[in-house]
Amino acid sequence: MEILSPVWPAAVAARPAKQRPSSLAGASIALVDDNLDVPFTTRLETLLTERLGARVRRLVKPSGTAPSPASLIDDAARSDVAVVGIGL
Amino acid sequence: MRLVSERLTVDDYEEAIELFYRNHWTDGLPIVLPTPRRVEAMLAHVGRDPQESLGPVPPKGGAATLEKLAINAVMGGCLPEHFPVVLAAMDAMMDPAHNLNGVLQTTHMCVSLVIVNGPIGRRLGFNSRDGVFGNGYRANAAVGRAVRLALWNLGGAFPWDTDKSTLSHPGEYAFCIAEEEEDTPWAPLATERGCPAGADAVTVFACEGPHSVFCYGTPEEMLHVLTDSLCALGNNNVHVLGQTLVTLNPLNAEEFAKRGWTKDDVRRYLWEHARRSAAEVRACGVVHEQFRRMERDAGRYPRRYDIDNPTTRLPITPSPDDIHIVVAGGRSYFAAVLPGWGGFGGFAVTREVAPWKS
Repeated sequence: MEILSPVWPAAVAARPAKQRPSSLAGASIALVDDNLDVPFTTRLETLLTERLGARVRRLVKPSGTAPSPASLIDDAARSDVAVVGIGL
Repeated sequence: MRLVSERLTVDDYEEAIELFYRNHWTDGLPIVLPTPRRVEAMLAHVGRDPQESLGPVPPKGGAATLEKLAINAVMGGCLPEHFPVVLAAMDAMMDPAHNLNGVLQTTHMCVSLVIVNGPIGRRLGFNSRDGVFGNGYRANAAVGRAVRLALWNLGGAFPWDTDKSTLSHPGEYAFCIAEEEEDTPWAPLATERGCPAGADAVTVFACEGPHSVFCYGTPEEMLHVLTDSLCALGNNNVHVLGQTLVTLNPLNAEEFAKRGWTKDDVRRYLWEHARRSAAEVRACGVVHEQFRRMERDAGRYPRRYDIDNPTTRLPITPSPDDIHIVVAGGRSYFAAVLPGWGGFGGFAVTREVAPWKS
């Protein structure tokens, strides 16, 4: 019996994933502020900076419910780690 | 007919069904096997290029080619004559106003409801009467599930992955109704939204499941209970505006019409009265506060509402037109409200079925 696949073959990632750092201490972190929970995001930024000495760059996403613009993704990708949004 | 999808050879039905489960190509229920013969019949019915695409389905971006949509429509149990309705619904969902990317991944429990209007509803056997949101009718079930399977297999938002819906609802399997157009005094939804009278059309709107409203009596009595149900503090609309849906049964509509109420009269009354004071809304917590500001800053709260004044009566949608009303269900005691996702999206989009008919 022959049947047809309902999916496309898995896409190849646009860029290889970075190696996961062993610690966040002192890491450069892109923190994407998606405007969905600003107080939470601010608290997270404070904790990452004060407790771990991370170098946090806060990148503001225009809409919390639509994909990030490509330029913001490229910008975030320059950091060691990215927090890509707060779900709500 | 040139089809490009991978062809899989299996020994028997049982092996094929398990193959779909193993690959996560189904939503948890068994499927109809998409054999080339069934898929070709689906595509032949619309007579278009199988590789024509409606665009990438978020979040993973699989192309919604007619071929892939036909495969998923077969899996959902569609007959070829159902396929144009599936295509119109998918086309509507891909409209940016619907924000499908957000609808499919939000923590909120909205799911895109498909509402069928026009003679095609009766001709293909869609249920618009008793039990309209429930089971028992192939057209509602098959079209509803075909859309969900297409989103599943092409968009790839899975509940163990990027579909972050906290609770979701059973409409994830199939969520499709037809409006009752014979037993109603009012123009149907698609006509109100700009389609020619009598046109076959589909409207999609992301919303919660139907909340029962004990709605029986005079217009004043029905409006009293509907307004209360629409502005429950748990609804996103109370906090973030957006759109909402009211489903009145044919007896409700008849009672309104007998007293001279038009659908617009009902809509306007609901918008004026389904409100909460800013103080009540603020008591729900700080997280909600920023959304009201977001809506105000985006210009969606009418300027005359001072959201910082505790006595202000806040509306649940930016305008009366954002309260959608359809007539469906049995002639009985119950209506339903289906709150939306709020100002984040999931907004109603309507498409005629005609462009997809051969």
